Amino acid sequence: MNSSTLIFVILLLALFSYWFAIQRAIKIAGGITKVKHLTSLPKQFGLLTAFWCGIPSLIILLVWGIFESSVIDSFLISSLAGPVDNLSSDQLSLYLNDIKVMAEQPIMQISNDPEQQSLSQAVNYLVTLQSNAAWLKSALILLISVTSVSYILSRFTPEYQSRVKMEGIVGGVLWACSGIALLTTVGIILSVLFESIQFFSAVPPWEFLFGTEWSPQIAMRSDQVAGSGAFGAVPLFVGTLLITAIAMFLAVPVGLMIAIYLSQYASAKLRGIAKPMLEILAGVPTVVYGFFAALTVAPLIRDFGGWLGLSVASESALAAGLVMGIMIIPFVSSLSDDAISAVPDSLKEGSLGLGATPSETIKKVLLPAAIPGIVGAILLALSRAIGETMIVVMAAGMAANLTANPLESVTTVTVQIVTLLTGDQEFDSPKTLAAFALGLMLFVTTLILNIIALKVVRKYREQYD
Amino acid sequence: MVDISSSESLLSEDTKINGTVGNCFADDAKMSMRNVNVFYGDKQAINNISLDLARNQVTALIGPSGCGKSTFLRCMNRMNDTISICRVEGEFKLDDEDIYTKKMDPVLLRARVGMVFQKPNPFPKSIYENVAYGPKIHGLASNKAELDEIVITSLQKAGLFNEVKDRLDESGTSLSGGQQQRLCIARSIAVSPEVILMDEPASALDPIATAVIEELIDELKEKYTIAIVTHSMQQAARISQTTAYFHMGQLVEMGSTSQIFTNPTHKLTENYITGRFG
Amino acid sequence: MTNQTGPQMNKKNPITDIVAASLGKRHRKELRFKLLGRLAVALGFLLVLVLIADITFKALPAFHQHWVKLEISYQQDWLSIEGSNRELLDGANYRKALKRSLYQMFPQVKARKDKRKLFKIISSNAEFTIKDYLLASPNYLGQKTAVWVRFDDDVDTYLKDVETPGEANARVDQKSAQWVKALADKELIEKRFNVSFFTNGDSREPELAGVKGALTGTILTMLVTLALSFPLGVAAALYLEEFAPRNRWTDIIEVNINNLAAVPSIIFGLLGLAVIINMFGLPRSAPLVGGIVLTLMTLPTIIIASRASIKAVPPSIREAAMGIGASKMQTTFSHVLPMAMPGIMTGTIIGLAQALGETAPLLMIGMVAFIVDVPTSISDASTVLPVQIFLWADSPERAFLAKTSAAILVLLGFLLVMNTTAALLRKKFEK
Repeated sequence: MNSSTLIFVILLLALFSYWFAIQRAIKIAGGITKVKHLTSLPKQFGLLTAFWCGIPSLIILLVWGIFESSVIDSFLISSLAGPVDNLSSDQLSLYLNDIKVMAEQPIMQISNDPEQQSLSQAVNYLVTLQSNAAWLKSALILLISVTSVSYILSRFTPEYQSRVKMEGIVGGVLWACSGIALLTTVGIILSVLFESIQFFSAVPPWEFLFGTEWSPQIAMRSDQVAGSGAFGAVPLFVGTLLITAIAMFLAVPVGLMIAIYLSQYASAKLRGIAKPMLEILAGVPTVVYGFFAALTVAPLIRDFGGWLGLSVASESALAAGLVMGIMIIPFVSSLSDDAISAVPDSLKEGSLGLGATPSETIKKVLLPAAIPGIVGAILLALSRAIGETMIVVMAAGMAANLTANPLESVTTVTVQIVTLLTGDQEFDSPKTLAAFALGLMLFVTTLILNIIALKVVRKYREQYD
Repeated sequence: MVDISSSESLLSEDTKINGTVGNCFADDAKMSMRNVNVFYGDKQAINNISLDLARNQVTALIGPSGCGKSTFLRCMNRMNDTISICRVEGEFKLDDEDIYTKKMDPVLLRARVGMVFQKPNPFPKSIYENVAYGPKIHGLASNKAELDEIVITSLQKAGLFNEVKDRLDESGTSLSGGQQQRLCIARSIAVSPEVILMDEPASALDPIATAVIEELIDELKEKYTIAIVTHSMQQAARISQTTAYFHMGQLVEMGSTSQIFTNPTHKLTENYITGRFG
Repeated sequence: MTNQTGPQMNKKNPITDIVAASLGKRHRKELRFKLLGRLAVALGFLLVLVLIADITFKALPAFHQHWVKLEISYQQDWLSIEGSNRELLDGANYRKALKRSLYQMFPQVKARKDKRKLFKIISSNAEFTIKDYLLASPNYLGQKTAVWVRFDDDVDTYLKDVETPGEANARVDQKSAQWVKALADKELIEKRFNVSFFTNGDSREPELAGVKGALTGTILTMLVTLALSFPLGVAAALYLEEFAPRNRWTDIIEVNINNLAAVPSIIFGLLGLAVIINMFGLPRSAPLVGGIVLTLMTLPTIIIASRASIKAVPPSIREAAMGIGASKMQTTFSHVLPMAMPGIMTGTIIGLAQALGETAPLLMIGMVAFIVDVPTSISDASTVLPVQIFLWADSPERAFLAKTSAAILVLLGFLLVMNTTAALLRKKFEK
């Protein structure tokens, strides 16, 4: 049985044990009329039993799924002792892959070539292992379900606290679910960190952080442990900053002015149509912005530049940055709107009461009072811009130019992560690992920005609460 | 609080409001309002009120919650302009100048008719900057020395200078409630207004701070014309020369404070000041 | 009285003049500031308008395509068969029959080079069209009949450009243009609604490429995301809001959820690649993995929205239920949760809408492969709509430009439906 069938069977079993336990509870009580003598409802007996049936077996299934392939691999490798002794780990994983691919195919030709023979032996062994594992898994899981159900059924008495036990289990499940978010963070940190450490053992960190030449393709082709400075990430950092700066240059003033106008001047009617407009801008997927940037804005800027007599790269930083700015506008405006609206009306009245004009009130009282909230908004927008991927993948370049000229093509951290990881590659080549090192930089940067922003915003909220 | 059912009995034949009782006009009026009606959307908040603010006097506006006294106060420097559904009718004059004409700029008006609010609302700036705010936006000081001068005199007039002179750079919000309110008074004095409107300026303060503010108001009337909305009849009695009693959007009775509190003419006024409702 | 002249009446307040003098300048400043605000709002509207109009305008050509009526001779020698049983018809050489029939329509084309060019004006898929036609009605064998087939994408684009003149098409030369014109003069060309855009999978040939594969992939991925993120998100929110003790652990989880909500999506792709694919060995490119990654990404959104919704349930409900002897758990599941449900659903839809448009993390887990077949299960290799857009946007053929824009419209349509549902749901239960 494969996993989805197994899950289905477990659920069926759980349903059955739910029904069975209810009947059992009624019987223990001494008939349907005496059910009220039980300390818990029959339904609660049923649920408890269903949990006992499903939860342990599903956990085992999950654990099995996680470890199955590595256990089978190690069995396979030990069986292969002869031919694989002198293979490197890369070659070994390729060899294992070959075996797996062959095992998937139903027909095998057997030739007399000794190498082929050992391969087909290995394939046969793998097929046996896999089918044994599948049987073992099914048997184990069914056994566990049945055992745990019969255990819990054997404990049923009229005084049995089914409800309390059942609720204990539900509470545990809820607790476990709340931990998933934490697990995700840990997973991110560990996966990115682990691969990065591997990368930094091949490429010294200072070279990565301060090197000015980035050409990972060369490093991969010659299969060398890159020592030639091909992994200097400075051009990527500069490129990211350049595009982010252009985006913020557009988004912060426009977003802020929109927030100010909508919260302080606009009629309720205008607000009623402007808010959905901003929601549309915020809801458009980034891939759409990427398309817009690459096929509409970039040619426009190039033609306009040409008309002015400037030479503009067809994948200019300006196009990507401007469109990213458009994407960020609603983000800045809605967060700034929150910040401005959080300033108590009494301050506004105090200023107007002294004879200040609305704009003087906004500029000299509201904005200074809202500045922490606005700074928080800008930091969050910044982190968003730095981590944005699709717009730059589609509209920014691949070449790692170290330049601050917005009309030239630059590349960014996210573009390089995508370039390095899409397409077929071996997992632990320095090229792939470099992507994780870039991911680490990205994660750390955005995390710091987010933490500061959330702290600033929270402090600010407390000030006026 | 007045709710309709309980005030019904108090509004029997003899308590019907038929125009204002007493003397609502002053010999030397700084501001004079005639036939004022104010609407919030369809709801009428002020119903045909006429009254004067006598020059260099404190006029107290009293009455139960929701009687329109704060609304009326806010109309006198056009603070209600900021509320879009609010409509004001009638004549408002400041020294014979109509303040609701196109010619009268609300900015200028509010510089001449200052306002102090119920809750102390110092800006989140330094004490100095709070007081200097008005003079700066209006360009009243041509240099730093003049500005310093204005700030110091305003703080002195508000009776706050001695308490804060060593910490003018500290945030205005770091002061105590009573100090904050005096800072707001100093802030509004710094613009040299002619009239100061006070909307329950002491209601958020403890008795000691209230006493200090009341004393201050009494001193301020030497230079300014003051209108004060208050919930506290004792306060009105202590600091005002003239008292106006509002009830459900109408001006019931107005007269000298001593007369209103010792010998009210209207039944409603009497009910209110003797504490039968309010 | 008001007109009485008091002793101080004429002593004018000195500030009046100073303030009055500054008023003009200050009001101009005010107007300028207000104008800036108006411009910013107008810019917002303009951007939305330009974005939508640009994409819609570009997408329009994709919704129809040009077909041509060819006189096809199903001669047995052209089909290289002898006999007429099904098996033979299935393996016949339709390409040859198609070529010969086409050449017959243009007897003046003699040179081999020209003939090859002539054959190129119709879609490479046309031989299958005429095959299907014959298989559907085998009695045409040996007969001559008119069959509608698609044009090649270059010709299709050329014909569309002719309708909206101004753009020259470099990919159709003069000769081909003449042939097409000849066909048009004989009224053999027809413009039809492009059904295959919705019924085909991806293809290298723009005239055949459709969104069905990507759409199915998107739906499968979203189903996985919904099935995982909804129960997990609600359970986590219930725990944090109703059961969690206020301690360090809960604080850490809370801060962590807020931070996770702002982690760049591409990082989740790295997690998926390193852990879900390389460690757990789940298949690359599969909606299952895509769904898991998007679940981890949307979970914070759903948890935050659900918590807000649960928090909004008045405490009196809880007290009432506990007061009549319900346990905390019963209160939560039978009273608090149903009341919070509309808000939770709104949050979930918004989270899913975010996931629907997400591209970057799916690139990381290999959903970028060129996949023709429509996926049938969550472990099949597949792609999703946003990734399809990304792939088509990268294609050099001009016809893909319209396809890309049309796919974007489909995606935006989906998003519109989801967001409107969420908005209506919110409105309905806000009262």
